[in-house]
Amino acid sequence: MKEEQKWPDLKINGVGNATGGRYGAVLIDGVCKVTGDLRANTFKANGKLKVNGHLQADDMRIDGIIDINGGIGGEHLQVNGLFKASGNCELERLEAVGGFSIGGLLNAGTIDIWMQAQGKVKEIGGESIQVRRQATFRNSKLWRWMMPKLVPELHTDTIEGDDIDLENTVAGVVRGNRVTIGPGCTIGRVEYRTELHVHKTAKIGKEEKLG
Amino acid sequence: MDRELISKKDLLELTGISYGQLYRWKRKQLIPEEWFVRKSTFTGQETFFPKDLILARIDKILNMKDDLSLDELAGKFSPLHFEAAVAHHELSERNIVSMVVIERFSTPAQLSGAESYSFEQLLYLHTVDRLLSGGEMSLDEAGVLADTLREHFPKFEGKPCELLFTRKMGVSSFALVSVPADVYYDAGVKLVARLSMTEMAERLSGKLG
Repeated sequence: MKEEQKWPDLKINGVGNATGGRYGAVLIDGVCKVTGDLRANTFKANGKLKVNGHLQADDMRIDGIIDINGGIGGEHLQVNGLFKASGNCELERLEAVGGFSIGGLLNAGTIDIWMQAQGKVKEIGGESIQVRRQATFRNSKLWRWMMPKLVPELHTDTIEGDDIDLENTVAGVVRGNRVTIGPGCTIGRVEYRTELHVHKTAKIGKEEKLG
Repeated sequence: MDRELISKKDLLELTGISYGQLYRWKRKQLIPEEWFVRKSTFTGQETFFPKDLILARIDKILNMKDDLSLDELAGKFSPLHFEAAVAHHELSERNIVSMVVIERFSTPAQLSGAESYSFEQLLYLHTVDRLLSGGEMSLDEAGVLADTLREHFPKFEGKPCELLFTRKMGVSSFALVSVPADVYYDAGVKLVARLSMTEMAERLSGKLG
C-alpha cells in the first residue's frame, strides 16, 4: 500500500507554531509547538518541540527535547535526548539514547535503549528488548542523592518480551523467553522459559521457570 | 454479563505463542484493544482476555498467517468493514437469520431477490434475531430495535459499541453506547440484555464465512 497522494511538507527554523495534520516530510529546527495530531511520512526534530496530540510517522528522528501530549505510532523512531509521551508508543523499532518518560505501553518489535538519564515507562512489550546504561559519574552515590532525575535508571511496572537484556532497571515483573538481568537491576519477579542469566550485583525478588 | 477470562500467561502456554508475537499482533491491530482486560491479582496487575474470543482469533491468525501477510490479515479482522452482499434465498438456506425476522424486516425488493443485503443490514437482522430467539423481546419491540439500529448505528462509524435493552414497568427502551462505558440505572430498571455489537458482527462474519 503506497500513498499516491502528495502531501505538503512542514519546515520550521527558529521559533514557531504549527497546526497538526497530514504532512509529507516534517523538519523542525529550533523551538516549536504543534497543536493537534500530526501525521507525516518522515519526521525530524532538532531542538525543543511540544506536540499536543498523537504523533504518527513512518520514520522519526528526534534530537533534543520533545514533549508529546498523546501517543506515538510508526515504524522507526530514533531519539537522542529527552523525550516524553503521555500515551502509548507503538513502533517497529526504537533506538533511544538519553532519558524518557512514557505514560502508557511501549510496544515495539525491537527496543534498544541507552540510558543517560532517568527513564520511566508504565509497561514495555516487544520481541527483543535491550536496556544499556552509559557508564557515567552520575551513577555515583553523591549524584544519586543530589540529582535523582539524572541517574540513568529505567523504572517500569512490567517488561514482557522474547529476548530481554537489562541493565540498571527497576521493574516489578519481567517475563520472557531468554532473560538477562545485568548489573544495577532490581526486579521484583522474573518469569522465564528457556534461559536466565543474572549478574551478581542484580537483586531479584523471585525467580520462576515456566514451561 | 460475566464471561470467562484467560490470563495472558495461561493463554501463551495454551497456544504456544510468545510475548513478542502477541505484542506484534496487537500493534498490527489483529487483536483489538478492548480485549485487553486489566485486573489486579496477588502478583500485581495482570492482563486477561475473553477466552472464547481470543482463542478463536489466535487460531485464525495461526492458520492464515502462512498465506497472508500480517497487514492483509488486519484488514480481514476489522469486522465492521466487512464487505458482504447476501441474497435473500441464501439467508434462509444457510440459516443465518430466522425466517420470521427476514420476512418482517426486509424491503420488498430484498424479498423478491432483486436486491441483496449489505453487511450492516444483516447485522441489524442478526441482532434482532438473537434477542427474539432468546425470548427476551417481543415482535413489536423488535421493530423499535431495528429502527434504532438503522438510525443510530452508522453514527459510530465502525467504532465499538454496545446495545442496551432495558425495561421499566413494562415499558422497554433501547440504547447504543460506545465502549468502554459504565451505565447506572435507577432501581426500577431491569437490564434485559447487553450485547457488544462488535461481537455480534464477528459472529455474523463467522457465520457468513
